[in-house]
Amino acid sequence: MSLRTNAAQLVEIAVCGNVSQPSLRYPGYTLDQYGVGAVLPGMSGVVYNARVGDPAFGWAGDHVEPGTSIANPDPAPEFALHYLTCMGNQAIITNGLAKGARGIVTGEHARILVDFSAEANDLICVGDTIQITAVGRGIEFTDYPQIVLKKCSPQLIAGIPIEELPNGHIRVPVAMELPPRIMGSGAELNSEYVDQDLMSGDRDLMAELGIDQMRLGDLVVIPDSDHRFGRGFRKGAATIALCIHGDSVMTGHGPGILTLMTCPEPLIEWVIDPNANIANYLHIRELQ
Amino acid sequence: MPLTNNFDKLVAVSVMGQIASPGFPGLPAEPYRLDADGKPFLLPTYGGIVYNVSVGDSAFGWLADCIHPGVSISLKDENGNRGLNLFACVGNTAIVMSGDARGARGIVTGKSGRFSEHVILHFSKDDREKMAIGDKIVVKSKGTGMALADHPSVKFKSCSPELLDGLEVQTQPNGKLGVPVVAVVPPHLLGAGAGLTSEGGSLHIQTQDREAIKALGLDQLRLGDVVALADYDSSWNHGYLRGGIGIGVIGQGDSPRAGYGPGVTLIMTSATTGIEPVVTPGVNLTSVFNFN
Repeated sequence: MSLRTNAAQLVEIAVCGNVSQPSLRYPGYTLDQYGVGAVLPGMSGVVYNARVGDPAFGWAGDHVEPGTSIANPDPAPEFALHYLTCMGNQAIITNGLAKGARGIVTGEHARILVDFSAEANDLICVGDTIQITAVGRGIEFTDYPQIVLKKCSPQLIAGIPIEELPNGHIRVPVAMELPPRIMGSGAELNSEYVDQDLMSGDRDLMAELGIDQMRLGDLVVIPDSDHRFGRGFRKGAATIALCIHGDSVMTGHGPGILTLMTCPEPLIEWVIDPNANIANYLHIRELQ
Repeated sequence: MPLTNNFDKLVAVSVMGQIASPGFPGLPAEPYRLDADGKPFLLPTYGGIVYNVSVGDSAFGWLADCIHPGVSISLKDENGNRGLNLFACVGNTAIVMSGDARGARGIVTGKSGRFSEHVILHFSKDDREKMAIGDKIVVKSKGTGMALADHPSVKFKSCSPELLDGLEVQTQPNGKLGVPVVAVVPPHLLGAGAGLTSEGGSLHIQTQDREAIKALGLDQLRLGDVVALADYDSSWNHGYLRGGIGIGVIGQGDSPRAGYGPGVTLIMTSATTGIEPVVTPGVNLTSVFNFN
């Protein structure tokens, strides 16, 4: 049985964005940790061959955003798209050749990331409008008010097999643990906005800890991290987060980690489960 | 034995900024930021002429958010400001070119990062009294491209020849470059600035966990102190790497925000353990440059 929430009180409201076009700044190089420049795809547009459930590491790309990336050209609606959209929300294409196709929100980076079927992706044109039924802002665990939820749709919360423990804690399945010392770019932002990259530059450490096995859509835990108002180190806190984009060659960057649950007190426990991925929890696809 | 350097090949070039006004977002008049516990606060922050906070003072305890000691300058033209923020080096001379403080000389002491991108200058308190927001200040920038022949793994950024001289760095018996610092900051206490440029801007010590900060004595840091950053490589952006070492100067004060705290202006980095921090009390810009 899933945890009690206030889902019945949540408002469902439409927000929209347009399918983005990849863009580069002349001359297009991204510098890696050795100072070597490369031109790499990954952000924006429709990424046809990277999907939630696929590896986060190993792409010949940078910050690969799985599926379709959308943004709104006007600043105020754009921030509404960012602040109101929650993971697991339903999306529908409202014009163009793929009109009527339905998708699921799987991430928030500089753009909102939506998963559609391969058939729908083939019909999508840059600029097509996608509308999201945003619901999840304000969601709380009725019995655990200390735990703050961010960008969680009721569907996502219902899909994750969270256990209630006799000691008054909850236990969440996660694919892996990330040490707080590798949490990097995004620390400068408020935690209501986008993600924080894990820093993958210490490649040996990624392999030692198995972090290089991370998949897009994985749930992960960052111990000793408080993400309620910004993202920072606090002993005893814990944060459950979602891998939303792929690895990066840039120093201080790596796969993107989006805050889902955070608590300044040690109320969130976790259990390692290789199937802890939203591809399962939101019934997006079978994991390999 | 003096270290072989390339000081005689470095180009000195003018970069200009104007004294920056403090700024806040516009309507609907929500000037608050949130502290790490979600409590709104309204306090002085980046920019302006700060009359009573100077390099040498404590980095902690001010009722402010990342306060810049002394005078902050920037240029409205974005590319021009990039030039100012990249080329100005800690220890460079700054000269007031307009207004009642015309001719006053100061010194670059730090830089701020994403969302403000100022260069931070020390001037005497008397000079600050004569200044106005908008006054033009030229920095005689020199230091970009600096290298030491015997320490090829060490990169210098925002570091003037005068600062390197004044720090009295020495080759250690193990061949590493020994750099005196007041403290070593562990990587889990480095926050905002990770993944952003290391050629300018700032990397912040995060101070939300006050006990962790106090346990390491970091709450004693002063503005202008020289510190080491453990397991961080700042060769191209700031990021975690075991064995990497950075050296920086405390350029900005503490912050109530999550992920923030005193801002560090990076001056040296080695991705491959080429730097050995030598903990030494009192390593501060005030003693290196003899001002107070």
